[in-house]
Amino acid sequence: MNVNEKFSGLRKGLLEFLLLQIIAAEKVYVADILRELSATEFATQEGTLYPLLSKMRREGLLDYEWKESEAGPPRKYYQLTAKGREQLRETQEYWGRINGTVKKLGQK
Amino acid sequence: MNKVITINLGGNAYQLEEGGYDVLRAYLDSAGVRLQGNPDRDEIISDIERAIAEKLRALLGSNKTVVETKEVQAVIAEMGPIETDPAEAAAPSAGSAGARPAGEQRTAGAGPPPRRLYRIHEGAMFAGVCNGIAAYMSVDPTLVRLAFVFLTMFWGTGVLVYLVMAIVVPEASSPEEKAAASGIPSTAQEFIRRAKAGYYEAMKGFPDRKARREWQRRFKQDMRQWRRSFAWEMRWNACQWQHNWHNYWAQQPPFNSAMGFALPILSMLHGAATILWICALVSLLSTGAIFGQALPATLPVWVAALLLCIIYGILSAPLKLARRACSWGFGHPAGAGPFIFLADAVVWVAVALSLAWLAVHFSPALREAVRSVPALAHQATGDIQTWWTKK
Repeated sequence: MNVNEKFSGLRKGLLEFLLLQIIAAEKVYVADILRELSATEFATQEGTLYPLLSKMRREGLLDYEWKESEAGPPRKYYQLTAKGREQLRETQEYWGRINGTVKKLGQK
Repeated sequence: MNKVITINLGGNAYQLEEGGYDVLRAYLDSAGVRLQGNPDRDEIISDIERAIAEKLRALLGSNKTVVETKEVQAVIAEMGPIETDPAEAAAPSAGSAGARPAGEQRTAGAGPPPRRLYRIHEGAMFAGVCNGIAAYMSVDPTLVRLAFVFLTMFWGTGVLVYLVMAIVVPEASSPEEKAAASGIPSTAQEFIRRAKAGYYEAMKGFPDRKARREWQRRFKQDMRQWRRSFAWEMRWNACQWQHNWHNYWAQQPPFNSAMGFALPILSMLHGAATILWICALVSLLSTGAIFGQALPATLPVWVAALLLCIIYGILSAPLKLARRACSWGFGHPAGAGPFIFLADAVVWVAVALSLAWLAVHFSPALREAVRSVPALAHQATGDIQTWWTKK
């Protein structure tokens, strides 16, 4: 089992955190998110993203608005709510602590 | 050459090859299954449809209007399988099962509540018997009241039945009972069950055996007494009526030749009505419909049969009266002899037989109905037997 497979659960758990970060920067729609993630270890697909986004919306972390597109059906543009920003802040803090722990442990 | 199927995705039409359509259909179906229990299921699926629509649009151009199967496959592969958090998918269904209120669970387990016969006081005229029957059979209470009034015309039967029911049928007091009073249709057996339950309920109230036996004895005695007095009442009433009848017709000795013509005609009409009634009854009981006319779904067959009898009674009563009037006008004071009765009887039988023959000969449905009567009767007796042994 290579590292990539080993950490698939971890990546999945982190995806929500990354989405908060991406959406916090600007209003995006799903293709933007996919493009941004595609170059990273977190490359994912619509089949994963839509259920996750709808869950986050249900939790009140983000909201969307409809925008017409020049070609094809209208698009949903996502943005963070106040609760989403709060959650992002907390998660960043927590992630920082984990990072620190990971670096610190085992070094004497 | 491939068949093309046009689909609507996100409000736009797309043309797919048939194989592509199958692939897409399978993908969306599996998405629906995987999102089972997700509160945003429909929204996620429409999101996915829109995303697919956008991808398909990118494939099409001015000189390419149909999406090929392998292109659809590529798009689906790009979409990836629907992945939901297993905890999230399980949570809503578990929550809905756990949080379901007790009342809902009860109705889900037991199906719709059974309909019971109760007296209903709200909007009642007297004791709520007619109201209860109306709710039980889902008809207007006025109809039931009219039926009782009509029954009362025959030696006061309606009043007696009403009184008995007012005593025997329990009153709907709790909300559950009120709901049960207009639940789903049941059978007349329910009425018998209720009456018995009331009897046994009263039995339970007695603390020691002796008192119970005493009460049982008294109950039986009362019933006998009541039956006797009822029979006596009926006989007396009948005598009274007969007496009045004789008196009335004895006072008028009109010998009218028109009556001589009227009697056979009346007999014919009466015979025709009777035959029609029997045929309707037979066709109702054997096919569940009256001469091919289906009953309203809410009307049980036994109620329809009862209605048929009542209608026949209403229609034939004046005919019967008129025939009697003619016979009495002839027979008694004027002394036309027994011939007129003989002629009447012959005409009656002839009309009845010929009508029956015509009906059976020319209506295949009726012929079938008549043929199925023995089997039906056999089945009915079998049912009663099993019911009896079970009891």
